[in-house]
Amino acid sequence: MEIDAEYDSGSDVDSKRRAKGKNKPKPAARGKKAKADSVEESEEEEEEAPRKRKGRKKKEESEEESEEEQKGRRKKAAGSKKRAVKKDDSEEESEEEKGNKRKGGKKGASRKEKEEENNKEKKGNGKAAGKGGKDKQDDKDKKKNKGKNSSGSSSDDNSEDESMSEGEMARLKEEVEEKKKLIVTLRNKPWRMKRRLKCLKEAQAFVEKFEGALGKGKGRRLYAFKVMMTKVLMGMPYGSIARKTVPRDEQDSAMDFSVLFEFGVICYCLIWIKLLTFLQGYCKYSIMFYGYYNNQRSIGLLQFRLPLSYLLVGVGIFGYSLMVVIRTMARNANEGGDGAEEGAFTFSWKLFTSWDYLIGNPETADNKFASTTTSFKESIVDEQENLKDENIHLRRFLRVIANILILCCLGGSGYLIYYVVKRSQEFAKKDRNELTWLQKNEVEIVMSLLGLVCPPLFEVISELEEYHPRIALKWQLARIFALFLGNLYTFLFALFDEVNAKLDNEKEIKNETIWALKEYYDNYTLHHNVTENIPPPNISPADVIRGPCWETEVGIEFVKLTVSDIQVTYLTILIGDFLRAVIVRFLNYCWCWDLEAGFPSYGEFDISGNVLGLIFNQGMIWMGAFYAPGLVGINVLRLLSSMYYQCWAVMSCNVPHERVFKASRSNNFYMGLLLLVLFLSLMPVIYSIMTLPPSFDCGPFSGKDQMYDVIMETIEKDLPPFMADIFSYASNPGLIMPAVLLMVLAIYYLNAVSKAYQNSNMDLKRKMQMQRDEEKNRRNNKDSTNQVMKDLEDLLPNKSLIPPPSAEETEKPADQLSKSPKVTGKPGAAATGKGVNVKKDVSLAAANPRAPVTRPPGPRPPGPLPGIARGPLPGQGMGRGRGGPPPRR
Amino acid sequence: MGSRASSLLREEDIEEIKKETGFSHSQITRLYSRFHSLDKGENGALSREDFQRIPELAINPLGDRIINAFFPEGTNKKYTAREDQVNFRGFMRTLAHFRPVEDNEKNKDLTSGEPLNSRTNKLHFAFQLYDLDRDDKISRDELLQVLRMMVGVNISDEQLGSIADRTIQEADTNGDMCISFSEFTKVLEKVDVEQKMSIRFLH
Repeated sequence: MEIDAEYDSGSDVDSKRRAKGKNKPKPAARGKKAKADSVEESEEEEEEAPRKRKGRKKKEESEEESEEEQKGRRKKAAGSKKRAVKKDDSEEESEEEKGNKRKGGKKGASRKEKEEENNKEKKGNGKAAGKGGKDKQDDKDKKKNKGKNSSGSSSDDNSEDESMSEGEMARLKEEVEEKKKLIVTLRNKPWRMKRRLKCLKEAQAFVEKFEGALGKGKGRRLYAFKVMMTKVLMGMPYGSIARKTVPRDEQDSAMDFSVLFEFGVICYCLIWIKLLTFLQGYCKYSIMFYGYYNNQRSIGLLQFRLPLSYLLVGVGIFGYSLMVVIRTMARNANEGGDGAEEGAFTFSWKLFTSWDYLIGNPETADNKFASTTTSFKESIVDEQENLKDENIHLRRFLRVIANILILCCLGGSGYLIYYVVKRSQEFAKKDRNELTWLQKNEVEIVMSLLGLVCPPLFEVISELEEYHPRIALKWQLARIFALFLGNLYTFLFALFDEVNAKLDNEKEIKNETIWALKEYYDNYTLHHNVTENIPPPNISPADVIRGPCWETEVGIEFVKLTVSDIQVTYLTILIGDFLRAVIVRFLNYCWCWDLEAGFPSYGEFDISGNVLGLIFNQGMIWMGAFYAPGLVGINVLRLLSSMYYQCWAVMSCNVPHERVFKASRSNNFYMGLLLLVLFLSLMPVIYSIMTLPPSFDCGPFSGKDQMYDVIMETIEKDLPPFMADIFSYASNPGLIMPAVLLMVLAIYYLNAVSKAYQNSNMDLKRKMQMQRDEEKNRRNNKDSTNQVMKDLEDLLPNKSLIPPPSAEETEKPADQLSKSPKVTGKPGAAATGKGVNVKKDVSLAAANPRAPVTRPPGPRPPGPLPGIARGPLPGQGMGRGRGGPPPRR
Repeated sequence: MGSRASSLLREEDIEEIKKETGFSHSQITRLYSRFHSLDKGENGALSREDFQRIPELAINPLGDRIINAFFPEGTNKKYTAREDQVNFRGFMRTLAHFRPVEDNEKNKDLTSGEPLNSRTNKLHFAFQLYDLDRDDKISRDELLQVLRMMVGVNISDEQLGSIADRTIQEADTNGDMCISFSEFTKVLEKVDVEQKMSIRFLH
């Protein structure tokens, strides 16, 4: 029942294509069809002149058809003609491609030759295969092939010999022109839409690629722009100031990474180890980290204010993320709730509405199939859970034990991390060369391992609790969440300890630097006897004394964490899923028990766990991005690669999770978690920005007492003075307090309004429901099922429309006969409310006696009220049987 | 496209179809070309095989049922060319169930009988997908068959049976252990059938 609006677009294109492709074999309407085709095309593209093409195409098509007619006949006999044709096409194409590839080898051949050869070969192929279908493709087709061919070969050329000769340049230019022409004229080609699109894409890509190199069009401008932007944004290149230079004693270790890289990828692990040291060595002074950026107020012609923008971007990211998450949540909240309230007709709904009738792709169909099955399984398990008999006391006891166990786990892991971080600080005091690799990266390894080991442990423990699977899943998620969060925060606190230590250390170094500088000046005056215009000390930037730069250290910690996280995830997939799947699959042939169904089985894909992992990964990025801007880039790479990697892993070596429950029907569950994580990761960053003093000699805020001083500075120096006044007033507590109050009031007001809207929504819904019910009643049983109304009408004194007693007497027998079933039938119908059996009521309505009114409506006859008078009449003692009620509607 | 289709389609036919189904002239011609492209037998009528070639129907577990819906029970000469073939009139008549309800149609009083795309008719179309023997009741067996189509062999017969029982239990109000059309309507009462069972045909 989930038929949506988009269907037509697909089917329409489809139909067009098919109409074009498939109907050709029909001889009778050929001419007309050609015409129709052209009309079709003009519908697709408005700009062309159909008249011109028509004649040409008619000719082409009639040629084509005569051949394709035979082909078509044969195919039809074979059964699935369509498929056959498609296969045909693809076969031919692959053959063409083969030809092209072969052609690519002989590079010396000129394009003309290639083209001819290609055509020959294609024709040969076609005839040899006895198809003869496509070889009469027109010139343009060949041009396309040629284009493809030449684009392939020329790009080869390009990559192989860097310097293009004059002739090649000219040729390339010509080709680009040709491609452009092709793009323009593509509309007029009598090809199928699919092929046209493909061709267009190829041509566009080609033009895009070579136009820039040839120094024409927008490609060149873009390139120049890129270069300029890098210059403007990055300030001076590497080596120009101290913080952008690797210190002397670290240079050796920094460079051997690249040597290793040259040497080649020997072993995965080695590279990762090297990468981690690389972080310590080379990257530390690169664009990736806080320390790279310097405190020059403005850079370049554009007066780019790096420190200011650094701060604003850092804080703005949080604002933007917050906005995005909340907006997504709000949008999600609007969706859903399309159907009935939960639980009304679960099974019927599943049965009648689960298939999406728009699915046209077999793979999607398989997925939908699986998800339908899952949802059915879910409801079966639900049912079973409901039926389960239980021993409450035992279960409660077990649950308490399980929770204690899990708390122990959480506490233990927190302590472990704290311990390890403390230890690593001790290690950090020692000489780096003495430490083993393990000692250097202990923290990250321990954290990753905890993240790896604890969740399965929790799962085992939660077996004790015997919760309903859905609840159990929520508990499990909550516990993993607590674990990750606890770990992250312990890590952070330990880090803050370290930062404080570094700050103390820094003071010393600062004094030292000042001392050294003073000494230098003193010496200079002593030796040269000048007190003014002393040149600055001539020290290579690599030898300058420098502070620890805690910001970069924090950034490095986060990058290390992220990298080791990537490492662990990838290795887990490789070993835990892939290797396991390989073993299970191939050892199964010679094993004593069924490996696939039995113990090891295949890895399961745990959706909720993976989503949670993603969320935490994001949290880490949020936290670290301020101190290591390069982290964002790493993360983008990671997400991109892991998407394909995990997709491959899931498709090739995982089975669906055994536990069939989804954590939540709406996406807002995870979005809520994301929001929480965002908030939690925002706090430490903002705290550190607001309270900790930046290092004196590194980063964009060096030399300032606080990071936000940059803003003050900008306000003072760059904005007109009245703006500074405005800001100083605005930051007055006397103004801030009312502003906060106002905001609180606004929140309160909006909350109240939203509640009111909700109420009125509910009211309207109820009203609609009532209206629908009423309408249905009116439609289904014309006479009325509404007891109350009927009774009320009975009480009405105005019964003047009732026929006189004489008429009543005559119709009574028939009346009784037809009435009695109705009277008995009625209570049932009334009890079931809306669910009235249509058939019965319709038949009753038809049998309803409508006595002819023999007398015009006049004044009420004398005597007692008819209603009362009729009361004691035999056969109408049931109370509601009235003689010939006036037709109400 | 229009010129070809209309050339094969007589004007009076189009008028008649227009009256019956409510499609516009251009929609009819457009759909005619679609009909024609589906028609591999070139005889102006669609067989079941023609329908099965549509990928959306081929992979739909209920595809056969939908195809069945194109073949009305009583072989009315107007809609079916011969046994197991449906002509353009029949094709259009079935498609008319999916025509969206337009705003101006809602207000129009239904003097000329209920249009094919009314809520009831849409629902009835859906109902027929499940009602195999066309006795206006969905029995437990019919439900089981549908379930089997939808979940394959992944769930045991016993469990499927219990699902079918539960479904009937939920929907059945008069205790005959079958789902009648009115009960079916009631189950899907909250679904916006008018919108969901509509396809936006191009004008």
